[in-house]
Amino acid sequence: MRPLNAPRGVRSLLPGRSPTGIRVFLLVCGLLAGLPIGVAGQEFHVDPDADNEVRFTSQAPIEEVVGITDRIDGYVLLNGPRLEAGSATEGTQLYLEVDLASLDTGLGLRNRHMRSNYLEVEEFPYAFFNATIGRVETVAAGMFRVTAQGVLNIHGVDREMEVPCDVSERGEGYRVRCTFNTLLSDFDIKIPRLMFLKLANEVRLELDFTVQPAPDP
Amino acid sequence: MLRRGLLITAMLLVPLGVRGQDRPVRWQRTSDATEIPIFVFHSPQSANLPTAETLLKGEWQFEISHRFFPPFSEGYSALWGLDGPVNNRLGLAYGFNDRGMVTLQRSNLDDNLDLNVKVRVFEAGRESTPVMVAVVAGTAWNGTAPVLSDGSTRAWQYYGQLTANVLLGERFALGVVPSFLRNPVLDADQAENAFSLGILGQVYVSQHMSVLGEWNISEERTDFEYDAATFGIELETGGHFFKLMATNSLRLNPAQFVVGTPYSFAPREWRFSFNVTRLLPF
Repeated sequence: MRPLNAPRGVRSLLPGRSPTGIRVFLLVCGLLAGLPIGVAGQEFHVDPDADNEVRFTSQAPIEEVVGITDRIDGYVLLNGPRLEAGSATEGTQLYLEVDLASLDTGLGLRNRHMRSNYLEVEEFPYAFFNATIGRVETVAAGMFRVTAQGVLNIHGVDREMEVPCDVSERGEGYRVRCTFNTLLSDFDIKIPRLMFLKLANEVRLELDFTVQPAPDP
Repeated sequence: MLRRGLLITAMLLVPLGVRGQDRPVRWQRTSDATEIPIFVFHSPQSANLPTAETLLKGEWQFEISHRFFPPFSEGYSALWGLDGPVNNRLGLAYGFNDRGMVTLQRSNLDDNLDLNVKVRVFEAGRESTPVMVAVVAGTAWNGTAPVLSDGSTRAWQYYGQLTANVLLGERFALGVVPSFLRNPVLDADQAENAFSLGILGQVYVSQHMSVLGEWNISEERTDFEYDAATFGIELETGGHFFKLMATNSLRLNPAQFVVGTPYSFAPREWRFSFNVTRLLPF
């Protein structure tokens, strides 16, 4: 007797001929296969209604230029239901994207220069960070220091980055604050040289956003 | 048999090992990228004529502009005009929303104090040829208006302008500016109406440099026989516009400029002029 629904090529590999043995084997496999379902990871989405903020700061000798937007989106996929120190990080995912055309430096003219001349947002509308969670450390109760490792893409250029983030529990979700520095030249962004344009090559990026459990499908 | 069993078990369990990485992600982008505002001219004004560009809401713009009296043709003795004297304008503009701005500006010529409002009323052509239209309405008060034969003065002027702009290709902005002005000549016996048609163009040569020109076709009047015309270069930075120009007009504020000029556009009548504006975020 052949097991039902088994592909023809697999049938010949099945151990034994006893229907009872096959049933037991399939039952064990089914149980094993079902085990991870109970510990499936949680998916979190960036909460668009939260007070999210992405900020870049260029601290040049004469002038500080700050650009701000709340248009950040993305998701986090954990291995377990909650973030835990030392938890396995295999299979975790972090994807964040920032709508670059929404960045506001406080001056319309400067925004236009930034959009058109430097970030070229018509061609590269989003900056995104595609990463995995590399390390999780507990700082205090409900607060974690998380390191994300992955690829930051700005202006169409990929750069491997390690981004430290402070994560704190907020309701069923988390508030995440990441701060890191990067070089505009790493992303082939031309630095304005003309007089009165005062952007430094090194800019500080600050991400402050909230994630909430993904809604049930 | 045992080997077969292990093989089958391994085959069945392999998907468990990669399940974490292959979980389907439910996240989907919920909105499109922010729409990029269209633009034609970069600056809210050309040399003297208004463009359809406006400030952003909450943005301030400070301006200082000069028109030097001596023409270039006077040469070194007048330092090509830079010795002065000059007509000067100081202005302050504010964006009350992303499509409207109010400007207060004062020229030392006749102590002309000018207040105007510009509103962009139309824009289109995001995917093809950007077009923008704005209207300007303003009034000016002249502190040193001449005393007329009956002992009175006509210090107030009123004007309206429409500016329609189009971007041809990626670098050439073109505009037309019909203007109406009430009381163009302060010492005329009667208040008159004046109409003019301005044409402005600007070629954006690079990210920060452009070449501009404008010509305002006006009715011929005593002491204002010629059209006012200006050409020069514009440098733009993150918050400044620098316009360095040659012109045959010494008049700065709208109620003064649109009426014309006593100087022809012959090269011997060209004078140095500049406009400098600075955007200020408060």
